[in-house]
Amino acid sequence: MARGKDKKKRKLEKKQEGDDVPKKMPHTLESLREKDETMLANVDDEEKLEAQKDMELDELSSYYENSYEPKVLITYSDNPHNKTRIFGKELCRMIPNSISRYRQRSSVKRIVQSALRENVTDVIVINENQKQPNGFLLIHLPNGPTAHFRLSSCKITPELRKDYKEITNHRPEVILNNFSTRLGLTVGRMLGALFHYEPQFRGRRAVTFHNQRDYIFFRHHRYEFTSDGKRAKLRELGPRFTLKLISLQQGTFDSKRGDFEWIIAGRRHQMETSRRKFFL
Amino acid sequence: MIITEDSEIDIFVASKIGSFKHIKYHTDSSKNSKKNIENLVDIKTLEKNEGITRLEWGNPEQTEILIGRKNQQIQIYDTLRGFTKSYTADFAPGEVVGLGRCKRKLLAAVASGVVKIWSKKTEEIINVGKLDRMRICADDNTVFGTGGEENDLKIWRIGETAPTFVAKNLAHDWLQLRRPVWVSDLVFLRGEGGRLAAVCSRHGYVRLYDSRAQRRPVVSVDFENMAATCITNSFDERQVLVGFGRGQLHQVDLRKGKPDKGYKGCVGAVADIALVREAGLIVSASLDRQLRVHRHHSKELIYSQYLTSKLSCVLVQTESSTPLSRVQSEIKDEVEDAIKVEEEEADDLDQLFDKMETVGDKPKKNKLKPEPEELPVKKHKPSSEGSTSLQEVDQEDTEDAIKKLLRSTEKLKKKRDQRKKEKKAKSVFHNA
Repeated sequence: MARGKDKKKRKLEKKQEGDDVPKKMPHTLESLREKDETMLANVDDEEKLEAQKDMELDELSSYYENSYEPKVLITYSDNPHNKTRIFGKELCRMIPNSISRYRQRSSVKRIVQSALRENVTDVIVINENQKQPNGFLLIHLPNGPTAHFRLSSCKITPELRKDYKEITNHRPEVILNNFSTRLGLTVGRMLGALFHYEPQFRGRRAVTFHNQRDYIFFRHHRYEFTSDGKRAKLRELGPRFTLKLISLQQGTFDSKRGDFEWIIAGRRHQMETSRRKFFL
Repeated sequence: MIITEDSEIDIFVASKIGSFKHIKYHTDSSKNSKKNIENLVDIKTLEKNEGITRLEWGNPEQTEILIGRKNQQIQIYDTLRGFTKSYTADFAPGEVVGLGRCKRKLLAAVASGVVKIWSKKTEEIINVGKLDRMRICADDNTVFGTGGEENDLKIWRIGETAPTFVAKNLAHDWLQLRRPVWVSDLVFLRGEGGRLAAVCSRHGYVRLYDSRAQRRPVVSVDFENMAATCITNSFDERQVLVGFGRGQLHQVDLRKGKPDKGYKGCVGAVADIALVREAGLIVSASLDRQLRVHRHHSKELIYSQYLTSKLSCVLVQTESSTPLSRVQSEIKDEVEDAIKVEEEEADDLDQLFDKMETVGDKPKKNKLKPEPEELPVKKHKPSSEGSTSLQEVDQEDTEDAIKKLLRSTEKLKKKRDQRKKEKKAKSVFHNA
């Protein structure tokens, strides 16, 4: 009861203070995030320059110079079940210029070889466990990097009670949200490089990769501006899923003999020292 | 080991994009800061394929660094004078995978498997087969070893066209299958005169070869599913440090044939390892863009620094030391100033006549300073007309200065008053 009274008092005080007093920001894990030295926001100019140069010279730079149109191959683990197949097909609808093929018991390294032959620029392998898609391997070609994600809470359009016929063929806009550290930037750039660099705005489709606490949330919307043009109405269309980075490897897929840029397996307890520490 | 005194260690780090940095590491951890890091290459000028693949000392005094790049450029960097020479290793395709100096001769190896030996008059080319690494023996400069994917260790002597030692693979395994070979790095053990060489592999083994005893390895240590990337001598003569592609760093004891110690902390592949023998420290460069320093005995991580780009090589300077060029330039400035002062003193005699005239000005300057004394002079101004025109000008100047001062103080006062008024007004408003 006493607390309730306090609350009333506080409310009254707030009223007396008026609207001039700025609202206090609530403390969340994000706002209290531990400072990361690799974040571009808090480094000096020289390091910023070097980071920029690093990005200009990496394997993904040719996409960001708009020198090629991405071509994506989507494949599965062997004998995928219905949900995984539909999920792959829907990814195909998301990503322009992509094809979905069954794996036919071929190894990832051989898939990479044949994809290179066919001038594919990115390969996605969706893994499945207990009829649920649970792994997402993204390989950028011709020479890496390779990112391995854990895929969770995947909802395909029938589960969301949506109709896939609503999804048009227009090239979507891509929104990469909240990738702040150096590692996060690389991952965001990899995800961005799946889509055509020139969206067709006529389609009003937007695809979002939103990073929050190291989980990357994927959503697919159609938007419509309100008549006053200040806000946009959203309608969710497509599949939704969540990714979490397991490893980032240099070069094309070689889990045994490759050089990893970042890997969490085997050192989780050393790295996850605090709830407020995030890597992306 | 407890080190009470602070000592400085020079670390040179190269990265995959081609930046090359000098870090002055203090064993006293409180003195380490970002100020101790400096770039030796201008980052703006870097281009694709300028990544540094190899870094090696050029002389035993450790003042000369050989730098091998992805685009086959070989540069020589003098720690005191900067870049001095550059060569192009365009005799075969592939990046530079090995460098070395033997007296006046320069050795370079490229990934396609060609080793070239430059000397003043002659150029020698040896074809060794696909290479991952070529290293020169530290004890005996004329000996070097090569190895690569499906290309087992070979030991060569400069001047001879055939290898002095060719390693033989282990016998087939229990399924009668051939064991795959991939030498990712090799090292000649210290104090053995190039007789013993240790090899690490991406197929997950560390092997020790004795070129006098047998062609098969003397010791073989297996690490299952761990791709070894680099190897160096450790503190003991029969111990080596091995870095792995998944970010582990282990000491391997080749007497016992067992992994010995593990150094934790790396999140990405270990690219290169170096030692500081006196202080008992292990310096490792990693693909996760961090440089780390571990204490050898206690295995603890004592320093890690983010260096913005993926690191590929690291060198530690133990024989000599180099000052940071920032500090050096400051010293230079001081020296230059001193020289200037000396020059001025020398010029004094020449400028004596010029200064003769200025001597006349000096009393005026003196007059400028005691202002209260001058004020009465101003009052008497009409009476003292006999003074020289120069002095008059001077007095007028001082008067002007005083007026300006007065005006400015008045302005300041006005401003203050205004602010006070505003404040008052505000407070009244709030009270109302």
